[in-house]
Amino acid sequence: MRKEIATFVVNGNEYEVIVEPHMLLIDVLRDKLGFTGTKYACGAGDCGACTVLIDGKPSFSCLTLAVTARGKSIVTIEGLAQGTELHPIQKAFVDKGAIQCGYCTPGMVLSAKALLDENPAPARDEIKSALAGNLCRCTGYVKIVDAVEAAADAMRTGG
Amino acid sequence: MHRVLLPFEFAEPTTVGEVVGMVDGQKAMVLAGGVDLVLKMRLRQILPEKVVSLQKVPGLDYVQEDGSGLRFGALASLRKIELSAVVRGGWPLLAEAIGLIASVQTKVMGTAIGNLCVGTPASDIAPALYALGAGVTIVGTDSAREIPIKQFFVDVGKTAVQPHEIVAEIFIPRPPAGSAGAFMKLSKTSEDIAKVNAAVLVTIVDGACTDAKIALGSVAPTPVRASEAERLLQGRGMNARTIAEAAEAAAEAATPISDVRSTAAYRKEMVRVLVKDALEKAAARALARGGGHHA
Repeated sequence: MRKEIATFVVNGNEYEVIVEPHMLLIDVLRDKLGFTGTKYACGAGDCGACTVLIDGKPSFSCLTLAVTARGKSIVTIEGLAQGTELHPIQKAFVDKGAIQCGYCTPGMVLSAKALLDENPAPARDEIKSALAGNLCRCTGYVKIVDAVEAAADAMRTGG
Repeated sequence: MHRVLLPFEFAEPTTVGEVVGMVDGQKAMVLAGGVDLVLKMRLRQILPEKVVSLQKVPGLDYVQEDGSGLRFGALASLRKIELSAVVRGGWPLLAEAIGLIASVQTKVMGTAIGNLCVGTPASDIAPALYALGAGVTIVGTDSAREIPIKQFFVDVGKTAVQPHEIVAEIFIPRPPAGSAGAFMKLSKTSEDIAKVNAAVLVTIVDGACTDAKIALGSVAPTPVRASEAERLLQGRGMNARTIAEAAEAAAEAATPISDVRSTAAYRKEMVRVLVKDALEKAAARALARGGGHHA
């Protein structure tokens, strides 16, 4: 293929985009669809700022050819809040002060979501392992782990 | 690092036969997880005219055991292998090696076979596969061949895969009774590639080491076995003295380079340390599993 109109399912909604093979998923999300919550940083799979969930799994959108994500379920940070109600993980990040500059936060929150969807009661070590692919240059990891722990508690108790 | 990729043709065949019919060295390259391929395309290190995706070929992501051992296919992700109950039960050394690849995203996207096809001596899974005696099945347009993993790695970035071939499967025999392994890795940070890594598999019967496999990464153009160190352990008890001798022999035989991550002298010394630690750990595990007494 060279160029085609492809369907992307982002946060539960279908979007049609003219896509070429060399386009990266992050560029489709940010530049074609406006989901600028997905952050570009290292471009090399080191930092995790570009993390989105593809079929529920945390993936680097900066190393994913957009054509390979056609028709798959993609979740970006914009897909977590319900209207004006933040997702419990987002709430916990705010409550625990787990955000400094905020640039790594969308990726962190999505990796945390992938973890909690699989394991609703992770140990601290499991949280650290799950977030190992997401770097915070402000180095505020303790509060981030605290936030994921608090979110897990809140989600289990329905809060 | 370039922000965008240069244009290329893209194909998504649905059979392995079609894929091997299309791939052609660096002109038409195969895409599995894309972690390495897309990065190198961004870096302009490779500029394929065509990218041939394996992702639409059904049935390549298996991780399964049969009577003879473990087999996994070209699309089996590192994550799937790491979490597989079969692998954790029968081939824990492989799960341990993958476990030291820190990033979940890398393991979700990246395939084990893709990792090997990069041909880097710093691969974390390669030493484990050397120690476990893995075989690599390479498929061409009208042939398939299985070669031992040590023939697969040829040089830095160079494997035995020919222009019109792909790797379809890795086979790992069942480790012998009384055996246990250990994997150790030293890196600048936990996300970085290894400065040195080591995988060992020791078999202990009636308190004596009947077989030892010691494989090292990042110390030569390909992963290597430390044969002299292995020979030193053969038939002897595994104690502080024999382990120290083997570790010394492994360091002696290693011929690493100096680069941005470490000097050659440091790498050599770390071979000694990692091999010693890995042998101690593996021996303790083998004994804990009852390898000290004849079953």
